[in-house]
Amino acid sequence: MLLLLPLAITWFGAVALAPFDGRRRAVGAVAVGVMVAAFIALVRLGIEVWTSGPVEMVAGDWPAGIGIRLRADALGIAFALISLGVLLAALAYEVLGGVHERSLPSLVLFMSTGLTGVFLTADIFNFYVFFEIAMISSFVLATYGAQVGHLRAALTFMVVNLLGSVVFLAGVASLYHVTGTLDMMGVADRVDGAPAGSVLLIAVLIFVAFGLKLGLFPFHSWVPLVYRDTWPAVAAMLSAALANIGSYGLLRFGAGLMPRELSLTAGGLIVIGSLSIIYGAVQAISPRTASEVIAWSSIGQVGYILVALGVGGPVGLAAAVLYSIINSLNKLVLFLAVGLRGWLVGAAFALAAFSVAGVPPSAGFFGKVAIFRAGADADSTALLALVFVGGALSLIYLFRIYQRDYWARNHATPPSPLGARVLVLALACGIVFIGLWPEPLLALSASAAAALTGGGS
Amino acid sequence: MILGLALVISILFGCGAFLLLKRDLIRMAGGVILISNAANLFIVAAGLSRGREPIYPLPPGERISDPVVQALVLTAIVIGFGTVAVLLGLIYRTYTARIARAVDQGEETEGTPVSMPPEDRVAD
Repeated sequence: MLLLLPLAITWFGAVALAPFDGRRRAVGAVAVGVMVAAFIALVRLGIEVWTSGPVEMVAGDWPAGIGIRLRADALGIAFALISLGVLLAALAYEVLGGVHERSLPSLVLFMSTGLTGVFLTADIFNFYVFFEIAMISSFVLATYGAQVGHLRAALTFMVVNLLGSVVFLAGVASLYHVTGTLDMMGVADRVDGAPAGSVLLIAVLIFVAFGLKLGLFPFHSWVPLVYRDTWPAVAAMLSAALANIGSYGLLRFGAGLMPRELSLTAGGLIVIGSLSIIYGAVQAISPRTASEVIAWSSIGQVGYILVALGVGGPVGLAAAVLYSIINSLNKLVLFLAVGLRGWLVGAAFALAAFSVAGVPPSAGFFGKVAIFRAGADADSTALLALVFVGGALSLIYLFRIYQRDYWARNHATPPSPLGARVLVLALACGIVFIGLWPEPLLALSASAAAALTGGGS
Repeated sequence: MILGLALVISILFGCGAFLLLKRDLIRMAGGVILISNAANLFIVAAGLSRGREPIYPLPPGERISDPVVQALVLTAIVIGFGTVAVLLGLIYRTYTARIARAVDQGEETEGTPVSMPPEDRVAD
């Protein structure tokens, strides 16, 4: 019951709010309230998981092994908390600044249902279904603003991601074919008995699907186009919440379900991740608009997650989880700050930029330290150098924007609504707070990594 | 049978990928439809087992076909249908937004193809 609560609250909230005009402040406020309730329910579930281990239920009272399982472990909870938190912040920001389209609050709630479901399911086909719920709402959200530019971004986003969904669906069907089950635990048990060649092919299919979602180097071409043209709050939702499906999927399917294939391809993953880091950072130096720079930067940042995943082991996996969470927070503040004007926002942007570069005492410092430790574990000086070079480059490109947008620009445009500006600054202070007191987050990511290596699913 | 299905899936996917690369948005939508149906067929093929229909009471000693894939493919078809509906709606909106802008700028709209808006016309 506890497990269903976050899903049910957001879903019923979304259905109930769908007929109302989301541009009214009251409707937006109710949507924020529903999100807060769902977040509290998720925290309750998280405490339960933390104190007494994974929570599990089988839908429809079917015997275990037949019915569809929902399962909350530390990894799923960590990703669900950060994604729901990001959506909540972005929705509150948009409500404070004034919603432009009637469907926004309900769509954000639908997306929360989909995302929470993805992180709390233990069935690979159910994973696909929740994934699509989140995707379809994000397709519609991407059109928010309804200018030709927004619509073009939405079309690109939709077609590329539909292709990714098809690839993932093919991967799920093939996994069912070789293991005869859709349950994650069953797949993890039986996948080693399947022919190694076909499992490797399936692993590649699933990697391509999630790589596309994350915007990794060879699959990145849609990222700058889409994040440049979408509305800032929507770009924050897509890049800080929806892209978590990609990193979670890589962790769950790679380290959880197919660890043999993961260790077989670890070298390749590290190479692709490093290419992502360098390519994203170099490309981020040249463009003119802030959101395009952040989009290229996000391609570089997800490279770190892939490198950590490639290094593997408890240290590498914990680093991947930690970096995904911190990356989401940074991206959220950066994209939200881009949409506003005023010195409060400039301060928030600078704090988030320091966090991306990994300057202490921001949260990003601990993300970089975790990657650094993973690199030291793998005995690779190249990886250690990569962390430094990547960090330095990110400081350069982000402060170029700062110079252009907050120092050099004359402030003829009126400053944005105060509520939204204060919210962004509060979020940025949150990043610094996490950097000053990182123990809870470190413990959470360590236990998430343990959930992957310990229990199979 | 397996070879036949593989051929059909690859032809569907190939035609879909070809259409997807077209500039015309309607053809692109057609490509998405073909590719998602190739995936549906792939699911059916993944559980292809011959036998009696899986309905109780089962005849003893006879093979029955796998009912799970049927359920999966049904779900996938419904989801694919939903996404295609959203895609067509989006294409229509792009089309009307472009026409509206062309009219504002006094451009010729007669015979305008439904295509992706060009890069240099980004609204700021």
